[in-house]
Amino acid sequence: MRNGGENRGRLLLVILIVSSLFLITLDLRGVNVLDGLRSGTQTVLSPFQRAGNVVLTPVKNFVNDITNLGRTRNQIEDLRKQNQKLREQLISRENQDGEIKQLKSILDLAGTARFKIVSAKVISQGSSLAFTRTITIDAGSGNGIKKNMTVISGKGLVGVVKEVFANSSIVMLATDPAFKVGVRVAGSQQIGILAGLGSSTANLQLLDNQTTIKIGDILLARGSVNSQPFVPGVPVGRVTSVSNAAGAVTQSATVKYFADFGSLGVVSVVVRAPKADPRDALIPVKPAPTPIPTVTVFVTPSPSASPSGN
Amino acid sequence: MLLRRFGFTGTIFVFFFIVQEAAVSQLNFPAGGFSIFLILTLLWAALSTPEVAAAVGFCAGILLDLSPSTSGPLGHWTLILLLMSYAIAFFSYGDENMRGNPLSLILMVSLAQVIVIFSYLVTGFLFGNSATSFAQSAITIVGSGLWTLVVTPLMLPAVAWLHDLAFDSRMRI
Repeated sequence: MRNGGENRGRLLLVILIVSSLFLITLDLRGVNVLDGLRSGTQTVLSPFQRAGNVVLTPVKNFVNDITNLGRTRNQIEDLRKQNQKLREQLISRENQDGEIKQLKSILDLAGTARFKIVSAKVISQGSSLAFTRTITIDAGSGNGIKKNMTVISGKGLVGVVKEVFANSSIVMLATDPAFKVGVRVAGSQQIGILAGLGSSTANLQLLDNQTTIKIGDILLARGSVNSQPFVPGVPVGRVTSVSNAAGAVTQSATVKYFADFGSLGVVSVVVRAPKADPRDALIPVKPAPTPIPTVTVFVTPSPSASPSGN
Repeated sequence: MLLRRFGFTGTIFVFFFIVQEAAVSQLNFPAGGFSIFLILTLLWAALSTPEVAAAVGFCAGILLDLSPSTSGPLGHWTLILLLMSYAIAFFSYGDENMRGNPLSLILMVSLAQVIVIFSYLVTGFLFGNSATSFAQSAITIVGSGLWTLVVTPLMLPAVAWLHDLAFDSRMRI
């Protein structure tokens, strides 16, 4: 009996093995019926797969997140580094753009006046705790810079070179309380002495008691002997208020510098002044007011128009 | 009686097949993941007589061969599952130490799973299936064995209970 069961089992096994091999042979020979069976299975399975996909999407995402945890973290880290690099590039680019803009305006100014200049980057700003206003630039005696040369920006006078080293120089800013420059009022040619106050404004003391100044007057550097420390014609500032104190021998005024001392990136040192005084050629051009657009409406009456209400 | 048993068994296998294809296969588990359908087949075979195991393995193999995700020829899975199911049943049938011990069953099914995947890979190569890299194949084979080691204990009580229902046997596991 047992032998009979075993034989039956073996027979079943052999039949099933032969059937499997038969199926494999049919499939490898490319019988089309078998392809139809698979596509039929897919047709039956697809609604279940769609439903499973809808239900399992959150789980699938969770499993994927866990599976790719290390990879995702690395990717995030890479993207962070890339982002940081791009930010640095952007800041650097913005900084360069600003410097180029400043340099261009300096070159415009120097070109108009025919100054020979050496441009330099501001590499440090003196501490205001020392009660002086200075900057350090990256050009020195090696670049032809000497003591008492005029330093300008694209907007006007910045200061004067006080100390010169081989590769750097210290510039006393026009805002320094010890800074003094001879100026003249553009147009009227009145002269005075402008003294720094430690801020963006300066005090103007006229030398002639017969002359007057008014708010909005523009001041230019008078120039010194041999153009040192100051070359002539450099715009200095604009009068913002006038003091008419009773008993004062001469008129005084408060002047706002043209140069923006808070954002000095690139400055130029005038190493040689032109033989001819540029006079008022460097006066900054007033910005033209933006024209207000006017709208003109043309109305043509229609020949068939009829009064309303009729 | 025979029809009821195989009808019930067929329903269970079709249900697990659909769950495998519609859900488990879609979750991209690491290292190849696992197949609840293969685990079911191997567990069922381990709990059955060799003849029943061979028949179940054959039918399960046909179902797997009909799966759209299968790349091998029709009959490939059939042959492997038929032989493996018969082998499992042959070794465990009559050995109560093997069948009555869940740990032995789990280890046997996991080992069988590794052999099944390995056999499928080797025979597939012989049939002209495109072979993946050795490292990837090794990860998949070992991974599926480890996954089976984890999943089989979770499925074992349910499969044993369903097997008892189908064959009216009272097995103590």
